[in-house]
Amino acid sequence: MAVSVPAVHEALADLVGRAHCLREAAALAAYAVDGMAPSVVVRPGRPEEVSGVLALCAAERLAVMPRGAGTSVGLGNPPRRLDVVLELRRLGAVREYVPEDMVATVEAGATLDALSAHFGPQGQLLALDPPGGAARSVGGVLATHASGPLRFRYGTGRDLLLGVRFAQADGTLTWGGAKVVKSVTGYDVPKLLVGSLGTLGVIVEATLRLQPAAPARRSWRLGFPSRDAAGAFVAALLDSTIEPDRAALLDRAAQGRAGLEVDPLAVLLSIGSAAAAVEHQGQALARLAAGHGGRSEAVPEQAWAGLDAVVQGPILLRAAGEPRRLVHWTGEARTAAERAGVEPALLGQPGHGVLQIALGEGAEPGRVARDLIGPLRQALEAEGGSLVVERAPLELKKLCDVWGSIDTGTLAIMSRIKGEFDPAELLNPGRFVGGL
Amino acid sequence: MTVSPRMLRALEDLVGPAGLVVSPEGRLTYECDMHTFYKGAPDAVVLPESAEQAAAVVRLCRRERVPIVPRGSGTGLIGGAMAAAGGVMVSMNRMNRIVELDLPNRCATVQPGLINLWLSQATRERGYFFAPDPSSQMVSSIGGNASTNAGGPHCLKYGITVNHVLGLEVVTGAGELVRLGGKVQERPGYDLTGVMVGAEGTLGLVTGVIVRLTHVPEGVKTILASFSSIEDASEAVSAIIRAGIIPAALEMLDEVVIRAIEEGIHAGYPKGAGAVLLIELDGPAAEIEAQTGPIEAICRDHLALEIRVARTEAERALLWKGRKEAAGVFGRLTPNWLLQDAVVPRSKLPQIMKEVLAIAARHRLVIANVFHAGDGNLHPLICYDDRAPGELDRAKQANEELLAACLRLGGSVTGEHGVGLDKRGSLPMQFADADLAFMARLRRVFDPDGIMNPGKLLPAHPACGEGFRPATRPLPAGTWI
Repeated sequence: MAVSVPAVHEALADLVGRAHCLREAAALAAYAVDGMAPSVVVRPGRPEEVSGVLALCAAERLAVMPRGAGTSVGLGNPPRRLDVVLELRRLGAVREYVPEDMVATVEAGATLDALSAHFGPQGQLLALDPPGGAARSVGGVLATHASGPLRFRYGTGRDLLLGVRFAQADGTLTWGGAKVVKSVTGYDVPKLLVGSLGTLGVIVEATLRLQPAAPARRSWRLGFPSRDAAGAFVAALLDSTIEPDRAALLDRAAQGRAGLEVDPLAVLLSIGSAAAAVEHQGQALARLAAGHGGRSEAVPEQAWAGLDAVVQGPILLRAAGEPRRLVHWTGEARTAAERAGVEPALLGQPGHGVLQIALGEGAEPGRVARDLIGPLRQALEAEGGSLVVERAPLELKKLCDVWGSIDTGTLAIMSRIKGEFDPAELLNPGRFVGGL
Repeated sequence: MTVSPRMLRALEDLVGPAGLVVSPEGRLTYECDMHTFYKGAPDAVVLPESAEQAAAVVRLCRRERVPIVPRGSGTGLIGGAMAAAGGVMVSMNRMNRIVELDLPNRCATVQPGLINLWLSQATRERGYFFAPDPSSQMVSSIGGNASTNAGGPHCLKYGITVNHVLGLEVVTGAGELVRLGGKVQERPGYDLTGVMVGAEGTLGLVTGVIVRLTHVPEGVKTILASFSSIEDASEAVSAIIRAGIIPAALEMLDEVVIRAIEEGIHAGYPKGAGAVLLIELDGPAAEIEAQTGPIEAICRDHLALEIRVARTEAERALLWKGRKEAAGVFGRLTPNWLLQDAVVPRSKLPQIMKEVLAIAARHRLVIANVFHAGDGNLHPLICYDDRAPGELDRAKQANEELLAACLRLGGSVTGEHGVGLDKRGSLPMQFADADLAFMARLRRVFDPDGIMNPGKLLPAHPACGEGFRPATRPLPAGTWI
């Protein structure tokens, strides 16, 4: 039986503690998403509290938005409903870490920079480095399937998440996967949670594969005079025995934003290995670049932090196409942006075909939707790709679905999954693909 | 018999007479996978030639409520590709072509019946290979690898099958023919490809696979280190990983296994050693050189008897042949054996190997070991003689104790073989009821009528009981682990 709103808020406060239950309008405004503010924010401190909050919300049919550090809440369609923001920042502990296993179990609210400070002294790293993501929570990075330059060698959260504890929509705490590097016991439930935007459950704890930090590492910026030259270089690099650990493709604007020297296109690469191998592979890289008319210069490690500045701004798009066409899509993206009257900065993932398109201030939503997103999305979808709006003002979101179109057969299965695990549509309702 | 004559005619209309097996002797070939404890011949075997045919078969079976058992090459070790409840087996052997090699996108589109090794053979000259390398790779199919999420020695560095599957074409248990994932490596929505890989045919039938191809590394070096005891070898493994070195492969073989290999294959393993580590490094030549010294030093610190580097490709290939075919020649040493596939955290390897030896002694059994040490993925072979009264019971007891020990240390029931019929009873040791209920609900989404490989992967309903029928030769010659 439904009870009054104040009574529900009281019950939530009892669950998580009064200090961790925000109800004042001023505080709530800071948690608004796409112009919609919650009526209460709860900040549970233990997985059991997450479970309790969700059970209560399910009983009262309250719509819940899980939230990590809050840096990427822009991803998703405007919520259909929003009652409760479930903030996971207090769940920030490293629960289990045996360096010899190269596996760690961490709470969802732990930030990437806190985790790197934890694993670094042991000579290990968590290979998740979405640009601008140091302050992001690991749960949020997993739920949004965010990735960065380290993807080149280590893949994404899909490859690194071994086990996951999550609370279902009704609050049931559930475990999927294992705490060892290799397990095929039962279905691969962690895969289902990665990239699901909290629509099937709220990740409270993640067991992740770690990597050994290389004994030596150096970075290079390889600048190219033309798109063709850069494209040929990237193809040759992928077809070589050179093994970088990080890779990023930057256009002029991105290089400028990152504080690098500027060429029409540049590839930022690092090689981590034994010192002699770094030296040897670095020389091979320089030769390969020179063979394609490029110039190479060693850059300091801080050059990578410069990527944070590339993805800033009010509008961020994410294009995914066939990997071999990445450089082609930089051209298409620039043309489309110019048509829409905005200056883009482009940051790509060589080998994976993902291109982030950051638009500067002053972009006019109508033109961006009509002249940039529409045609570029259509072209990408024609080859099986997609164009996702990672961040945009509400005016733009009203003009286009942020995810684009999904194959109807596949969407039917996704809808059944959502219907099975969140039948009352309480977790992030309306924000995911196809209105899920 | 769950398949009526009318339905047999309908099946024949779909796949043609050459694509249908109904004779008793023909069906007998399909009554089990490599785990021959579990036998169940299908009522009919169909061999579709296209995804559309496969989809039509699934839809027909759904209409008739007849179980479907997908099958690749039948090299599984879990009682997976066998018809526990009769019904229609769908064998993918006739769909075994490479559809497209797309090297600029570093991927290939293949039919599910394609033999794993054929793909690497077709791409190696152009500088690429398919990284998942289960020991059965010269026989097992890529569709089967995807359905069981197969591992292999080199997944230590390269990851397991799911890390190399970019997309699938599947017929769900609801009869939908859908394409999941693809050459484009990121797409909005739930990762249905990731869920389907390793589902053992319980969610749907795989009719096409898009796999990642990996560039052949600049160099490779294979090191053999022998030790007087399995404990010393285990400590060396943990020390290598602790030093931040992830070899391409790090395999352990104990004295019993080496004896079997050398009597059957003559692969060049040192007889008499208590244990041997087969360590393979690959990557940039300078990196291999830099890692060799520390690895050799660690082995010496752990009292290695001998450290030897394979000098030629032929020598290296022979060592790997010995490793990959070890289980196949094992029948020389024991009439019967049970096989485990449990995993422990890497740091617990020395501890679990002590436990293995203690369990063997306690039950007066020989337990031989050949396994993926770097991953902590054990393959203890529990030897027994079916004719000796009580030995099977002792072997089963040892098996249970071993599994319990691995889980106590934070491990997993199965690292790469899968669940099938064999391990479904063990899932409650690793998962709570809520976890299992979540999986069961996920299954119903894809297979609402429960026709896809029923009885496999999840624990049986208590009323169904567990089938455990020992045969005289539980695992046949030519088994790969």
